[in-house]
Amino acid sequence: MTIDASPDISQGHPPLASSASNMGSLRCLAVHAVMVLLSILSIFPIYWMIVTSLRPENEIFSTAFWPASPTLENYVFVLTRIPMLQMLANTTIVAAATAALQVVTGLFAAYALVRWRMRLSGVIHGLIALSWLVPFQVTMIPNYVLASRLGLLDTLTGLILPNASHAFAVLLLYHAMRSFPTEILEAARIDGARSWKILWQIVTPNMGAPIASLSIIAFISAWNEYFWPLLLSRKPENSVVQIGLQMFMTQEGNLWGPLMAAAALASLPILLIYLILQRHVIESFMKSGIR
Amino acid sequence: MTDIQADLARPLATAQTPAKTRRQRETFTVAPWAYLAPALILLFVWTYIPLVEAFQLSFYQWNMLPTAPQRYVGLKNYERLMALPEMRNALWNTLYYILGLFPMSVIIPLFVAIWTQDLTGRARMIYRGLIFVPMIVAPVVAAILWRWLLNEDQGLITLWLEQMGLGRIGFLTDPNYALATLTWITGWKLIGFSTLLFSAANAGINPSYIEAARIDGASRWGIIRDIRLPLLSPTILLLSMMTILFGAQWSFAYINVLTNGGPLKSTTNIFYLLWEYGFQTMSAGWSSAAGMIAFAGFAVVAAGCMWLTRRFAVYDN
Repeated sequence: MTIDASPDISQGHPPLASSASNMGSLRCLAVHAVMVLLSILSIFPIYWMIVTSLRPENEIFSTAFWPASPTLENYVFVLTRIPMLQMLANTTIVAAATAALQVVTGLFAAYALVRWRMRLSGVIHGLIALSWLVPFQVTMIPNYVLASRLGLLDTLTGLILPNASHAFAVLLLYHAMRSFPTEILEAARIDGARSWKILWQIVTPNMGAPIASLSIIAFISAWNEYFWPLLLSRKPENSVVQIGLQMFMTQEGNLWGPLMAAAALASLPILLIYLILQRHVIESFMKSGIR
Repeated sequence: MTDIQADLARPLATAQTPAKTRRQRETFTVAPWAYLAPALILLFVWTYIPLVEAFQLSFYQWNMLPTAPQRYVGLKNYERLMALPEMRNALWNTLYYILGLFPMSVIIPLFVAIWTQDLTGRARMIYRGLIFVPMIVAPVVAAILWRWLLNEDQGLITLWLEQMGLGRIGFLTDPNYALATLTWITGWKLIGFSTLLFSAANAGINPSYIEAARIDGASRWGIIRDIRLPLLSPTILLLSMMTILFGAQWSFAYINVLTNGGPLKSTTNIFYLLWEYGFQTMSAGWSSAAGMIAFAGFAVVAAGCMWLTRRFAVYDN
């Protein structure tokens, strides 16, 4: 991610220098214009959500960029109307558990594939990778039937379990682990260290960065997950915040102030994580492509 | 938890010295499977076995009630689906979603990234931080934000358009616009992220190639066409593949939250149709058959994409 080697147009072409630098400053302006436009496009809808959520009822249709008399009444309305805090707590549990389980199952599977060269390694690797391509909508009916047979409808366990392992997690950790020097593993094995000990005391401590990346991505994806909760959830108090939002919209779709307050509350944790860990979040997503 | 058991068993095995070598070989074959077990079991229970079951279900008629019988109908589900205008409509719409996403997930980001490559320092970091944000916004939240901005009565964009004398547009209620609106929302989440991916790939191009081309008198466009685009081809192909394979899936949440497939089925794509057949009309057989058609179609496309990547991507090494 170093772009400092930006080739300077004017350098090395003295005769063109003056015209080039003129063009350069114009171009520079245009470059900033493009990026400012893209930034506004990206951030304005979120800004507008926050502004609307702070408007009192009589100001809701105002087009001013800041409310004349900001108020938190919309937030109070949401918190008293739907079990928002309960749903936020549920979502936190689901997202944290999903991320933790994906890290653990991913570490195990990646470790098995890296340390033991088995005849079936290639097949297993392929099976894990290909599962990524199976659209969830295709398997949803059998999944739903299984979940209802196991009594997982309307439970948090039911939301966590199918996502406890993901091809993406295994592959990410597999690639990170593959670059781990095999001499160290070999040496530890010769010293008589057991695979369990090698995994936890030698491999895992060196997997800090990929584990952090995976946790960030898995947590955010689980937080934003909509489809599976939509199938599984019955009561709002047993569900996650995305479903709560959707239910609230269906019932009170035109109460724009409270709706925006609910949307803001649902995004707040993710936006906070982003504010604190910005660089890590961006890099995690970029290194791993689109999930 | 099988791995813990396997590991607990191992100290006992090594304690018996005479049988050590044989035991060791034994544990060497068990251990990797124990480590693989959690991931593989979950994968089979929640993905592969359901896939097989969905395949079986596609030959049956079933209304999803546990007490109701499943009736074998052979290929009838497929025949009916092929004859249904709904299915054809959904397949066309799927194609529109994917094609409509391309400008936002590949083309514009590619050129923005090349155009803005000279940005450095603080400004670059700020833009980066801002344009990434839509990527982490929940789809339901994104849907609600745009529903508000585009609201037909009081939405900000509607009001602006009216001030400009363009009149009101039923972004989500007019069958001519609804699909484009949903595609736009899907693309809104991707445009900044794709730009960042292209910027990173573009910055990774060895500057000496550019320098050499410039000394040879290559024009700015010539450098882009002959050096940058070929070296960016892995990223272009990756993002194109993602768009083709997952684009229609990404739009599911927006369809479900905003239009329910309407108005006049104009926003129903294949994935939404699967959901409708499965959980609205309760015809598991139809849903599974449509799912199999979609899965087979996308599998062929995925194989094609991978072949293209292997064939045409230019790697710098």
